[in-house]
Amino acid sequence: MLKYIVKTAVVLAAICAVAAVVLAGLNEVTDPKIQEYEAQKVISALEEVSCGMQIGEKKDVNQSYVAYMYPLSSGGKDQGYILGLTSTGYGGELTLVASYDLNGVVMAAKLVADEETPGVGKKAENEGYMDKFVGTGTSTAPVPTSKSMLSDADSAAVSGASITFTGISKALAYGSDFVKSL
Amino acid sequence: MSQHIKELTKGIFKENPTFIIMLGMCPTLAVTTQVVNAIGMGGGVLFVLLFSNIFISLLKNVIPNSVRIPCYVVVIASFVTILQMVFHAYIPSLYEALGVYLPLIVVNCIILGRAEAFANKNGVLDSALDAIGMGIGFTLALTLIAAIREAFGAGTITLFRIGGWDGVIKVPFFYNWPIRVMTLAAGALLLMGYLKAFFNWNTSRKARKAAKAEEVKA
Repeated sequence: MLKYIVKTAVVLAAICAVAAVVLAGLNEVTDPKIQEYEAQKVISALEEVSCGMQIGEKKDVNQSYVAYMYPLSSGGKDQGYILGLTSTGYGGELTLVASYDLNGVVMAAKLVADEETPGVGKKAENEGYMDKFVGTGTSTAPVPTSKSMLSDADSAAVSGASITFTGISKALAYGSDFVKSL
Repeated sequence: MSQHIKELTKGIFKENPTFIIMLGMCPTLAVTTQVVNAIGMGGGVLFVLLFSNIFISLLKNVIPNSVRIPCYVVVIASFVTILQMVFHAYIPSLYEALGVYLPLIVVNCIILGRAEAFANKNGVLDSALDAIGMGIGFTLALTLIAAIREAFGAGTITLFRIGGWDGVIKVPFFYNWPIRVMTLAAGALLLMGYLKAFFNWNTSRKARKAAKAEEVKA
């Protein structure tokens, strides 16, 4: 009996050890490529939301929703900020970058990483999805955080993916308040 | 030779994992909102199924019976992780498109089902042929369901981006007047029901034909 238990444990441990070694080896090969890809994705997202302005030095914030910020300037004058935002969607964490003017009005936003359902929540990655938030963040036009604050067309567009919409909108609204508090 | 061909082809039609054996229903219903997701998922399952069947067949005499399922899960999870790393590093667009469904291949019933029902009892060559046939059958089934759901529900057929082409084919009429329910869970279940009914009818029709032929012979 003892022999059987030892044999079973050894076989299971050996299979796990071989799997771990193979995966560690593959991780060594693929990790630099993956890091490079992820960094490139963030850089292109920052450029996309910068609206042609100069991006300054990164500052870590580490508050709820706001992870980091970059000042934006044009002609030597401060014009706003890009915030790195994190929130929760249907499938897990949502990571986005958004630019705000000095009054906390959303200028542009882009979803950088998510684990949303393909064909449903993943539609938030599509071009035009963030348009409904652009220009919001004022007292008369606050960042829409519920479907009732959207137009009929925008409300229909987020239908079926309400949790994704709420995650994104809450992060953008918090980002707007954060910029106003600076 | 004919036995090997039988092992290869049975998964495509006669024992199709989706329409006949009814395995792997969760990803079938979940990823078939776009054709590109169905092809990607099918390719991923084919890769994992092939290598896990080969390794499980090779290790079948080494693995003690009482821990065979944990051993299968380790082997399957390792191949899924390999697939994830390779896709993330070298085909990031497909990695992004498959999203959460890629790690979910670990719990796909087809893979564990074929390991337990076939690879555990057969040789390496037959196990590999069984995996290829089942993988192709699964991919074809997913692609058929996705094509119908996407064409009717969104009025498009989404394939892979190639160069400047965005990979989207617009379906006339349905592009302007889509039947939205087809892209939702209810549409998936409805379509699956109709397709299952069709395959059941086809199987029983063939069985009746064979019985009739047998009768005439007798």
